[in-house]
Amino acid sequence: MIGLVKAELRKLFTTRLWWIMLIVMVVLVGVNLAFIIAFAGVSQNGGPALPKRDTMEWAQVAWSVGSSGGIFVMILGVVMITSEYRYQTVTGTFLTTPRRERVIAAKLITGLLIGLLFALVILVFEAATVVPTVLLSGGEFSLAETRIPQVSIGILASLALYGLFGIGLGALVRNQIAGIVGAVVWAYVIESIFTAIPALHSVGKWLPGGAAQSLMSIDIDTGLGRPEWLPAWGGALVLVAYGLLFAVVASATTVRRDIT
Amino acid sequence: MTAIEIRDLAKSFGSVKAVDGVSFTVEAGSVTGYLGPNGAGKTTTLRSLLGLVTPDSGEALVDGRRYVTLPQPVSEVGAVLEATSFHPGRTALDHLRILCVAAGLPDQRAGEALEMVGLADVAGKRVGGFSLGMRQRLALSSALLGRPKIFILDEPANGLDPAGIEWLRGFLRHLAHDQGAAVLVSSHVLAEVEQTVDNVVIIAKGRLVRQGTLAELTTNGDTAIRVRATNAAELAPALEAAGAAVERVEDGLLRVRGIGAEAVGQIALDRRVVLTEVTQERSDLQKVFLELTGER
Repeated sequence: MIGLVKAELRKLFTTRLWWIMLIVMVVLVGVNLAFIIAFAGVSQNGGPALPKRDTMEWAQVAWSVGSSGGIFVMILGVVMITSEYRYQTVTGTFLTTPRRERVIAAKLITGLLIGLLFALVILVFEAATVVPTVLLSGGEFSLAETRIPQVSIGILASLALYGLFGIGLGALVRNQIAGIVGAVVWAYVIESIFTAIPALHSVGKWLPGGAAQSLMSIDIDTGLGRPEWLPAWGGALVLVAYGLLFAVVASATTVRRDIT
Repeated sequence: MTAIEIRDLAKSFGSVKAVDGVSFTVEAGSVTGYLGPNGAGKTTTLRSLLGLVTPDSGEALVDGRRYVTLPQPVSEVGAVLEATSFHPGRTALDHLRILCVAAGLPDQRAGEALEMVGLADVAGKRVGGFSLGMRQRLALSSALLGRPKIFILDEPANGLDPAGIEWLRGFLRHLAHDQGAAVLVSSHVLAEVEQTVDNVVIIAKGRLVRQGTLAELTTNGDTAIRVRATNAAELAPALEAAGAAVERVEDGLLRVRGIGAEAVGQIALDRRVVLTEVTQERSDLQKVFLELTGER
């Protein structure tokens, strides 16, 4: 199995997509951070303002931006499996490892590892931007009173699980375009609807995005009522369950199909 | 030793019977040509053999076992299926290194295999820039990684130039005759395999139509020798005296049956007749093929 995971990592690192995704993700997180830096302490239309830049409350909000990297890991997971079908490399993969469920298992593990790697990059990037911002604004950076460690663990866990989720989704869908479009629509449209409308929260917290939010353990008041997330461990379990469910269903259906 | 055994194999895609009760075997140390027109069921047979397609009934075994149960498939069977199954953005060497680590083979096999097919100098180039012939060689090199003793190749000559085809022929003969491998190679172009294969299995519309050695298929007990000589009129009676049936085709050209080419040469030497051509006529394999496969 270690050999198979190594093979999957080689597949990913010998093509260009992974670092393109990594750069795009860091840029997106950077843009979000830039807004949060720019609008710190600014009150708009009398609404609740972001905390001031020199406070640890602000640092905590800024830190949680990292969770937006999940979609990129999910897409990478989808591509890791659908590109095998698109370029027909799946033929060579299944010739080398004819027991196909072993390939899927190796890909799930690799998806987790890639999620962790991307999360680490985000955390380093956040540390390199948020900490200086607080210090330059005259504040003092101290983790003691913040939830930043929990948020960091949440980012690590949610990105890793999004990787797993993407692999499961890709195995089920097989078609690359359908998989990516499905992932993006799901993350940005369907999940947003369920998180934005309070009446749907009871369902939304069981969806992958809601489950990932619960890992951050941050209450963000959207002005429409406080979302009630699952406990962090519950969110993690929900994400794992989705990924494994997809993978198991896929192994029993699409993965077993004839390769012609 | 039976390396490959196909027994009553059948597979349908929807209402189309791609393979319909095919049985044949491939022995170690020989090259078997699996011939048939496009859509005859060759690829489906080979993919069933490799566990990529699940047959509806029957069995396809390598070394007496199903491919999916082999503990080290890459070290037992080398397969070349199509020249298109590469990620265009990946280099040739990386492609093989991925297969090596997945199969538990040392990485250096990747470079060695590329060398064996003459791709060593483009090992670091992305496959997207490869010609079809180069991809075909790369596919072949991936089959060599585990030093297997059984080779299954689906239309490996597709996209190769004449020099490449010549190289492939020599390579397959070397694998079978010098290294004792069992080679099963499919093709829809007879000329490609005619000089390579020992045995022939012909399939058409999913059904086996003929199986045998190449010689059995082409010599229908009716082989003639074309003899051209400067003085054919004098040579003909001498050949007839030796027991040959001689047909005078045109001035200076004879078709001789009943004796071998060596005998013809000996008689010509005795009579001091200059031979300008001695050709063993074979019934045209192409013709046999077309007749058997119902293509005309």
